[in-house]
Formats: sequence, C-alpha cells, structure tokens
Amino acid sequence: MKENIKLIEEKELIEKAKKGDKKALSEIVKRYEQTIYNFSFKICRDKNKAEQIMQETFYSMVKSLHQFDHNSKLSTWLYRIVSNHCLMMARKLKSRTFVSFDDDDNLFEEKFTADWSSLPYSNTENEELKSILDDAIQKLAPEYRMVFLLRDVEGLSTEEAAQVTNLSVPALKSRLHRARAFLRKELNEALSK
Amino acid sequence: MIEEKKISCHDVMQHICENLGTELDSEKCKEIKAHLEICSHCQSYFKSVEVTIDCYRKYNVELPPDAHKRLIDFLGLEE
Ligand SMILES: [Zn+2]
Repeated sequence: MKENIKLIEEKELIEKAKKGDKKALSEIVKRYEQTIYNFSFKICRDKNKAEQIMQETFYSMVKSLHQFDHNSKLSTWLYRIVSNHCLMMARKLKSRTFVSFDDDDNLFEEKFTADWSSLPYSNTENEELKSILDDAIQKLAPEYRMVFLLRDVEGLSTEEAAQVTNLSVPALKSRLHRARAFLRKELNEALSK
Repeated sequence: MIEEKKISCHDVMQHICENLGTELDSEKCKEIKAHLEICSHCQSYFKSVEVTIDCYRKYNVELPPDAHKRLIDFLGLEE
C-alpha cells in the first residue's frame, strides 16, 4: 500500500517535472542520486568516474523525461540510462582485457579451498576485502558486471534486468551464471592465499 | 537403452549458479536438492556463492555532499 502511494506521488512529480517544474526535477534527482552514484561506482570502481556518470545520467534524464511514458518504473528507466553511460565510459577507456568464457568448465574447478566461514564479509569496511572485490569484478567485461549488479546486487527481477540491458531472459541468465561463478572463483582464490 | 546417469557435483555447481535460490520443481531440481542435502562439498559451494553476492551487496559508497551540490549546479537546478 505504501509502495502504491509512493508511485502515485512519483507520477505527479514526473508530470510536473515534464512541464519544467524545477522543484519537481530536483526532488526526482534527490530521490535517485544516491542509487545512481552507488551503481555507477559498482560498475567502474572509481569515485570520480562514478560522479561523472551520475551527472551524465541525470542530464540525459532531464533531456528525455518527456519521453518517459510510465510503462516501466522510473527506477528501471534510470537504470537503463545509467547502464548505457557506464558502457560508453568503459568503451572510451577500454584499456583492460577481460576474462573470456570460452571454457566454462574452468569456472567450477576447485584448486583452492578458502575458509569461507571465517570470511569477514560482515565487515566490508575491511580494506583488504574491498580491494579483492574491486579486482575481481574488474576482470569481468562490463556487460557481465552489469547483469550481476542489476540482478543480484540491486535486486531487480530477471525480467527487469533483461529490459534494462536489452537482453533476452535466457541470454541474461547465461551471463549471470557465468558472472556469479567467476566472481566466486576469484574470491575463493584470493582468500586461499 | 538409455543409461541412467547420476547427477555430478559439477552439474550441481552449475545449477547453483544458474538458479541460485529460485524455487524450481522440475525433476532435475529435485535431484539437485537431494544431492545438496547429502553433499557437503556442494553445500559449501552454495554457501560461498551466496557470500560472494552478499559481499558485493554490502560494499556501498555514499554520495558526498559536495558531489550532490555539483550535480544540482550542473543541471541548473535549485534546492
Ligand atoms: Zn556435490
């Protein structure tokens, strides 16, 4: 019920913003800036780039809000914009080479045996763990990162995540399962050292 | 004659990554569940995938107040 009221409120806010109401626009920005910034950071693992992507995302939002037709949630629509900006940024930089998934069997190889029960994962203020997490995800191509982050980390449904990334549900699931297995394998290796 | 093949740990690990936490009740999923109940190796694999996801969920950054101000300025908006 509360969720419904929020959505009706948001619909009014969007309609006002479409008519050029700056207060309404600021309100929309305030509601989503934290989410967009955090998501951008999770893709690019760099605070300056995350801020730049956030700015570009809201700039695009302001420019194309008149096209928003309420067929999806505003958040889903924004995830789509921010995802595109993240991909554009990644293509501009493309200095890294990413893991290839030619041989899926490697994903399930068990050479290392970390003690997962003692992992200080409840304490993500742990700088060492943070750098392990940053390193692992940066080995994934942005297209894979995106799928993992949207579905597993941001908690979008499979259908929503497919909509955001323009993928079919089976294609999304195939990327998702590789990303999960790969990140898990990377953490396992790093924690076994 | 079709040879009946027992499900392997590899199958289970792959399945875990494909369908983590989703309740499915195909024949294959029932087999997977049965295997998971008796195989400690696959149990800890399942746990480790969950922990991996959880780590990424908990690692968040807060928008600095300055960055908020710069955004509002950049867009030509007011508070
Ligand atoms: Zn097993």
